[in-house]
Amino acid sequence: MEKPNTTYPKLLVEKARMYQNRVAMREKYKGIWQEISWNTYLEAVKHFSLGLAELGMKAGDHLSILGENCPQWVFADLAAQSLRGISVGIYPTNSEDQVKYILDHSRSRFVVVGDQEQTDKVLAIKDDLRMLRNIIVIDMKGLRHYDDPMIISFGAVEEMGRTADRKNPDRFYELVAQTDPEDVAFLIYTSGTTGPPKGCMIPHQNHMFNLYGVNEIFRFTDRESVVSYLPLCHILERGVSVCIPLITGYTINFAESIETVQENIHEISPTFFAAVPRILEKMHSAIQIKFQDTTRFKHFMYNLWTPVGKRVAEYRMAKKPLPWRWRLLYGLAYLSIFRTLRDKMGLLKCRLLMSGGAPIAPEILTFFHSLGVFAIEMWALTESCGGGTGPHHEIKPGSVGQPIASVNLKLADDGEILIKDDSVFYGYYRDPDATKEVLRDGQLHTGDVGRYDEDGHLYIIDRKKDIIITSGGKNISPSEIENKMKCSPYIKEAIVLGDRRRYLSALVQLEYDNVGNWAQNHKIPYTNYKSLARDPDVYELIKQEVERVNQTLARVETVKKFLILEKELDQDDEELTATQKVKRKVIAKRFQKEVEEMYR
Amino acid sequence: MAVIENNHCIQLQVTDLSISFGGIQALNTISLAVNNGEIYSIIGPNGAGKTTLFNCISGIYHAQEGSILFESGEIMGMKPHQIAQRGIARAFQNIELFRGMTVLDNLMSARGHAMRYGFLRAALYLGRCSQEEVRCRDEVEEIIEFLDLQNLRKSPVGSLSYGLQKRVELGRALAMRPKLLLIDEPVSGMNMEETEDMARYMLDINEEMNITIILVEHEMGLVMDLSDNVMVLNFGTKIAEGSPQEIAQDPQVIKAYLGETLQLSA
Repeated sequence: MEKPNTTYPKLLVEKARMYQNRVAMREKYKGIWQEISWNTYLEAVKHFSLGLAELGMKAGDHLSILGENCPQWVFADLAAQSLRGISVGIYPTNSEDQVKYILDHSRSRFVVVGDQEQTDKVLAIKDDLRMLRNIIVIDMKGLRHYDDPMIISFGAVEEMGRTADRKNPDRFYELVAQTDPEDVAFLIYTSGTTGPPKGCMIPHQNHMFNLYGVNEIFRFTDRESVVSYLPLCHILERGVSVCIPLITGYTINFAESIETVQENIHEISPTFFAAVPRILEKMHSAIQIKFQDTTRFKHFMYNLWTPVGKRVAEYRMAKKPLPWRWRLLYGLAYLSIFRTLRDKMGLLKCRLLMSGGAPIAPEILTFFHSLGVFAIEMWALTESCGGGTGPHHEIKPGSVGQPIASVNLKLADDGEILIKDDSVFYGYYRDPDATKEVLRDGQLHTGDVGRYDEDGHLYIIDRKKDIIITSGGKNISPSEIENKMKCSPYIKEAIVLGDRRRYLSALVQLEYDNVGNWAQNHKIPYTNYKSLARDPDVYELIKQEVERVNQTLARVETVKKFLILEKELDQDDEELTATQKVKRKVIAKRFQKEVEEMYR
Repeated sequence: MAVIENNHCIQLQVTDLSISFGGIQALNTISLAVNNGEIYSIIGPNGAGKTTLFNCISGIYHAQEGSILFESGEIMGMKPHQIAQRGIARAFQNIELFRGMTVLDNLMSARGHAMRYGFLRAALYLGRCSQEEVRCRDEVEEIIEFLDLQNLRKSPVGSLSYGLQKRVELGRALAMRPKLLLIDEPVSGMNMEETEDMARYMLDINEEMNITIILVEHEMGLVMDLSDNVMVLNFGTKIAEGSPQEIAQDPQVIKAYLGETLQLSA
């Protein structure tokens, strides 16, 4: 495979020339899906980019973007890249301090913010940010009387660019022509389960190279329709919503607001659905809970057809032809129940569902296969520029597939996955020490430990530093056990502990809605999360769930004791990252006393 | 506090307004002047006549004496719908929505007075009818976005929480595209967060949409933060009027209203 010799802004110009007035994006506004054509897309990027140049942005300058997903987010991203600048995404859920850290560390000169809430965050910290020149606001609602000279509206910058474009219509194209495939396109701040976030420098060429690689699995055409709903500052969503459409030309849809995402997915019914395990777990448990509350007939039908779905899923995953009797049975099952379920979840037209970002329990993927949705798990890192592995043909439960064509992957002696450094990131921005740690001897040291099976399928065992070695000397991967536990509709989060201990224990966070629902059905009074967590009946319920999981595990892997956390884990309390991953070290420290209790 | 300062002309002028029910003098020669674009609050203990004053302005009660000038035109004696058409809308304390209808339908119904088509056109959904409906929906969508109700468009109002119903109630009043908005106890029974949201919405309505607001409210913190001017009523009589700072220091007010709260909290 040859490395592509282009940049994202160049691709945009090319695609706009090719597709003209075809729909590039849709955004729901005033209750109607408004269409944005490739021409409009290019115009918007052109004007915003020239506007930024008027404001003084030069090659190498950094522009941060802080806000929910919207077309303007994408325009700003590509506008910065068109000037050979570097864009930096910040999670809209980040606190003031976290925003300050990233703006300061990335040395951003400009920041594009979504609305008043985000503007207030930046205004509160702007005195500490000497590099910052302008705050560009997308939605000016409520800001009419802010008189800070740094504030300028997104529309005003576009207008400046429009004037500049009229004076010199070739300028933008000259700028784009200067962009170099080896330029850094954007910084992705990794959520940092350990320590502060680190800014990965992602170059155009390597990122695009890997997207060509994964496209051998995805097989995207320009007919796809995808909903953008995960945070755009994450490399997964950036690829799906910004970069892959520039390569393949499919349509991307932006939800109306955070609250309406579910409804909007249902309306659009995307053909491709990328998700993190948390979301798929939630969809899975929502279905299970709903069937408990439904009529007897529906409950009966669900129990009747689920085994058929599971059996067929096995055939599908192995890519074996389906025997005709199963085909017939499945047809009945699909018509009587699975089709409706898919429709309710907004997956009716979905031809491919991808899980990434964290390991997922095979049971969840099997569930989606049984509904007839082809679901795959992929493995990649921000550091590897999104390049990693995925199933090329058959799917083996628990495996993340084979390496894609763009990466050169091998295992170290201790099982750590290494990737040759010609397709990976350039290093962490302003952190040479951390860079040296992961990029050495011409290899990216991923920190994930894996193993190959006889057919060349890769299995991820765990993060190298998370692997538990019990006092008996047995190596155990906690994430595998945790994922099995999280399959229960009553468990939202599980943290398995036991390093250098006699047995394993777990901290459990309840799925508040579902356990609350269960408590109501069993006439157990409760007031809030805490009172549920303390209830002895709830403890029994979780105990049953844990025992059910234990039956599927080897003896040393069983969870002997567990504790229900009395508070919900929260990003604001530094217990979760912006992508809702658990920060084990923080939690282990915070609940040290409770953990010691379990080993007494 | 409202920041619109460009326009100081008086929008609503009430002069010597009096009304009595049997032997009870509900309002006694009340006079007030509300400037264009301000937030004007009316406070006072229960039974002071605040809601009666609102009822007089919106034409539900007809006062026995006095005059009410809205944009220099006399509106006293007019029917409520005529007053509404002039540009005065009202959000009620006890939510007055169609509970079985969706949020969207409730807001659309508030545009009824602006629809100009007859029965026949409506039956066939032809010509002006469809144009008007589309135009009204567009206006209603603006309000939905303004009040962040996107996810509730199709929910029946009766199924919403109290705080959300209050927000829809405010939206219904806004959908009438008023110049003057009368809001009766918008945050009663709300928690801290809902109160803050509501305050934010009222400020935005005032600033972004340039709508004058007359507010009746018991929550003193809210009144003091938001208002440009405050009037204090007690037993149907005006006992003070002025900026929030002046009111907070007025000995009569402290005695009649704030004093009681202080004693209670002490």
